[in-house]
Amino acid sequence: MDIFLQQLANGLTIGSMFALVALGYTMVYGVMKLINFAHGDMVAASAFVGLTIYTQVMGQATSLAAVIAIFLLSALSMAVIGVILERVAYRPLRSAPRLSAVVSALGASLVIQNGIMLIWGPRMRIFPELVPQVYWDLGGVVISLIQVIILVLSLILMLGLYLFVEKTRMGAAVRAASIDQDAARLMGVNVNNIIALIFIIGSSLGAVGGLFIGLYYRGITFNMGWQYGLYAFIAAILGGIGNIPGAMLGGMLLGLFNAFIAGYVSSTWADAFTFILLILILIVRPTGILGERVAEKV
Amino acid sequence: MKNYEKFVLPAFIAVMAVLPHLLNERWQAVAITFLIFSVVALSQDIILGKSGMFNMGQALFFGMGAYTTAILNNEYGWSIVSTIPLAILIPAIFGILLAGPIVHLRGDYLLVVTIGFNIVFVQVLQNNLGGVTGGPNGIFGLDSLSIFGYDLMNQVAVYYFAFIVLLLTLWIMSNLEKSKPGRALHYLREDQLAAESIGINTRVYKIFAFGLGAGIAGLAGTVFAVQYSAVSPEAFEFIQSVLFFSIVLVGGSSIPGVMLGVFVMFVVPEIFREFATWRYFIFGFAMIAAMILRPRGIVPATFGKIPKFLIKGGSHGA
Repeated sequence: MDIFLQQLANGLTIGSMFALVALGYTMVYGVMKLINFAHGDMVAASAFVGLTIYTQVMGQATSLAAVIAIFLLSALSMAVIGVILERVAYRPLRSAPRLSAVVSALGASLVIQNGIMLIWGPRMRIFPELVPQVYWDLGGVVISLIQVIILVLSLILMLGLYLFVEKTRMGAAVRAASIDQDAARLMGVNVNNIIALIFIIGSSLGAVGGLFIGLYYRGITFNMGWQYGLYAFIAAILGGIGNIPGAMLGGMLLGLFNAFIAGYVSSTWADAFTFILLILILIVRPTGILGERVAEKV
Repeated sequence: MKNYEKFVLPAFIAVMAVLPHLLNERWQAVAITFLIFSVVALSQDIILGKSGMFNMGQALFFGMGAYTTAILNNEYGWSIVSTIPLAILIPAIFGILLAGPIVHLRGDYLLVVTIGFNIVFVQVLQNNLGGVTGGPNGIFGLDSLSIFGYDLMNQVAVYYFAFIVLLLTLWIMSNLEKSKPGRALHYLREDQLAAESIGINTRVYKIFAFGLGAGIAGLAGTVFAVQYSAVSPEAFEFIQSVLFFSIVLVGGSSIPGVMLGVFVMFVVPEIFREFATWRYFIFGFAMIAAMILRPRGIVPATFGKIPKFLIKGGSHGA
């Protein structure tokens, strides 16, 4: 039972990071029908940018204000990169064959990933200890302050996004663009602005996810974006791609699944089990758990 | 296109046939790598370019061929040449079995599932399933190529082995263009619904394309294992699949385009070694630029081998 509760706590932590990153994939896919392969690398870049802001700008301060500033500045820089990425690599290809955009996304991914390597070097870097190491022992289950912060902050961000998308006029425009771009344009939605907005939101959420990954795992490498990106993308598919609550649910489920595999089977097989789960889900229910809306396109 | 068939291709083959005698050892090795990766990229082209299935796991079949040769040679003492049939068959059968349940999936889903197959495969190799894959270090110390008792130790022999495999692949691809399955795959790629409605069993042909592509990649794997007399998991990682995927699409899924892509991706970095760390950074930009400027690839494929008796009015022979 202890293992179960411990892995439940770990799984929720990992899951909320997956969910944050998955939102970026699912929103871009929803509107553009494109797997933004560069998203995972932006998540990685965010952790490195956070590291540099911490050492160079903040003078290694770990006060609450400094930590908040690191998060905001990292999110802002990723939002800028996201908008540039869309403008340079994706917008010229909107009417091109689907695969051309996929190759462009892979190219962008290589550029960002290797840009990180050229700037910060190929070796693993240690992410700063921004949050004090506080642990609580709840009858055999150890929970850290970092885990609580990651979980709570992720839930707040996801709730905020959900309310934005469901309750505001702009959110309605995002939903409209993801159902039918042309119809949305006829209704007076500026689709270009919506796509830019999606890249801003998705990239900033991914940036927060990247900082969480740094905080939680400590070691960050230039090529970690593909690993986390792939997991997050699988989470988006599990929930039903293009579906925002689905990405949150998929992220949490995948995190829990991973934690239980690591706890009960072996962490060296985690990737294999994750993909076997994905393949089974795609065979049985290709639209994901909540993905009814895109059913006709499969 | 006529020019290409009449002059460029024979000239290319003639140059490649004498090439190893003009190069020193290091460049011979590069040339062998070029040949092997050309074969893998062309096999990927059968699945991705010719049939339009988003396969991003071609390194899996390449690796399966290499590991089949390595395991049979190292564990069971088979000679390299005698492993060839199984190194083609096993990946081909796996290609068919893996493709079976997934070929109906929409493009992007197929892409992610094939990535998944590749990652599971590498994890199986690293975890040394069954105790025969050698774990993360792989298998080394394979025998050299020997035919009829002659030990063909030198690199030139490996080069010609790779060259024959490439010629065989080119022959298969040119036959594919002229044959019924090739036309079926072409229609399938252009419009699946239309292909189905004129009686093409799309499911069978899709699986056929996977099996064929996997078998050819497996054969390339054997050559790869012979070249290094070793195999290890990292040579078949998912990044390799990404490279083959990109080569086919940037090249334009035509034979000269794909070979050009392999040349740029694997030979040019050998020429500019001082830029090794900048390699993928520059390639990334090149991929974006290539797709924006030529969305259908550098040398777009044309499908021009429809037999004359099938063409009425000659409007199809694009």
